[in-house]
Amino acid sequence: MVLEKKTSARVEGQRRVLDEATRQRRLTRQLDALEKDNFQDDPLSSLPPPGPTARLPAFSENEEPEKKRRKTRGDHFKQRFRKNFTTLLEEENLSEKPEPNYLSAAAPVSSLPPRHFCCVCGFPSHYTCTTCGGRYCSSKCLCTHRETRCLKWTL
Amino acid sequence: MATLVLDNGANTAKIGFSHEAVRVISNCQFRSKTSRLKTFTANQLDEIKDPSGLFYILPFQKGYLVNWDVQRKVWDHLFGKEMFKVDFTDTSILITEPYFNFTSIQESMNEILFEEYQFQSALRTNAGSLSAHHYFHTRPSELCCLLVDSGFSFTHIVPYCRSRKMKEGVRRINVGGKLLTNHLKEIISYRQLHVMDETHVINQVKEDVCYVSQNFCKDMEVAQNKAEENTVMVDYVLPDFSSIKKGFCKPREEMMFTGKYKTGEQILRLVNERFAVPEMLFHPSDIGIQEMGIPEAVVHSIQSLPEEMQPHFYQNIVLTGGNTLFPGYRQRLEAELRSLVPAHLPVSVLQPADPICYSWEGGKLLAHNPDYDEMVVTREDYEEHGHCVCEDKFDL
Repeated sequence: MVLEKKTSARVEGQRRVLDEATRQRRLTRQLDALEKDNFQDDPLSSLPPPGPTARLPAFSENEEPEKKRRKTRGDHFKQRFRKNFTTLLEEENLSEKPEPNYLSAAAPVSSLPPRHFCCVCGFPSHYTCTTCGGRYCSSKCLCTHRETRCLKWTL
Repeated sequence: MATLVLDNGANTAKIGFSHEAVRVISNCQFRSKTSRLKTFTANQLDEIKDPSGLFYILPFQKGYLVNWDVQRKVWDHLFGKEMFKVDFTDTSILITEPYFNFTSIQESMNEILFEEYQFQSALRTNAGSLSAHHYFHTRPSELCCLLVDSGFSFTHIVPYCRSRKMKEGVRRINVGGKLLTNHLKEIISYRQLHVMDETHVINQVKEDVCYVSQNFCKDMEVAQNKAEENTVMVDYVLPDFSSIKKGFCKPREEMMFTGKYKTGEQILRLVNERFAVPEMLFHPSDIGIQEMGIPEAVVHSIQSLPEEMQPHFYQNIVLTGGNTLFPGYRQRLEAELRSLVPAHLPVSVLQPADPICYSWEGGKLLAHNPDYDEMVVTREDYEEHGHCVCEDKFDL
């Protein structure tokens, strides 16, 4: 216990302290990660791309027009209907539209103070990591936090 | 003419003809590690023998339809000969979309329904309007109702006075089932076992073990107890998709509190995760989302409405959406509202028997309503007047 305290005090002196903006950026990134559909790569993308054989044009006279039609239809859809959420939101130009709209419907900030939980074990926490602002509940969790998370994902 | 009712959710489509029963089908495509070249659409999910590391391709992003390629593939499958065998020349479609849907999405939707599929008529509406229709149909004496629709992408609180949606009272909390599953995945991966690729499995874990705590602080204390006294702790046996097809909780009497299991299954030990995850619906600030929780947002919404209506809304709160199925959800919401609402106003929170299909059932009722034919836009109307007629006619 004594030994542990000593090392942590020594390390404290050298530690980088993240400023408020960086902490906020880290939080935003964590929240964005919670919106992801998948964390792994597409299993199809790990396959080699279809070789030249797949790209060879069909020489049959009958098939050609049909192939052409399908292609243009696909292109049409790609251009018109493939926009992501952010683009769509920008296009709507909601700040100029009358309320209520998508933006005004968002629930406002709670009037209750936020509660704090240990980022290692999830139980209520009373202490804040001086470096990154993460929460912890005991020296055991602080150790784990420093070894695994504290400065590992900084921007 | 047949009417196809489609509650087109971001995770599952609730679909069926108005004279038949509903079916709940995944509204997405999948790729699996084992058969990498094939893309599975909607209910072809059942064909995948080993759904570990399942890759999702979703048509929705943050609750709004953005990926039309995928959506059309799913619809092609649903409408096609394998499933509903829709005869487009003799079918009307009743379809739902999110609140405050974007204009360009609505136009694409019109175009695809009328020009691509060539439905004879269409009615676009919000899932909440159908739920409200259902509610007023079963309780004709009520004047108002407040829907709390907690789905995959977000949670909406929507007041309805009769069949009219009161847009100024709509509140959105950006917490839904997807965020809960991803958060559970994240904390399990950090604390015990790497499961970041296993959305499908962990979603099942969430549905099997998570619950809404009635007394959060007390449950936190119980969860800190050791061994037998820790009544919150469960051991969840993960599926291996050969001998164990579906995960399950170890019965309490078989649980080993010290040492390892000798049987060799993969075990997840879940303690405070069980109630801390659904807790985000009530306190989004727990993970740093600067928004009100459901009970607070309900009160905020109702207080923005005319004062003489407010007591009616507190008495007619209806819960829909998949998150409603967490055990204890209704009780907790009712208890918290009771403590927030003035004592002389009665509070009543209703949880329908099937909160996921409640709006679909409402759509079924609406399709049989004599006024339905007045509400739709026919293909002739659309071909004559284009998007304007849809914008005028649909109450969105």
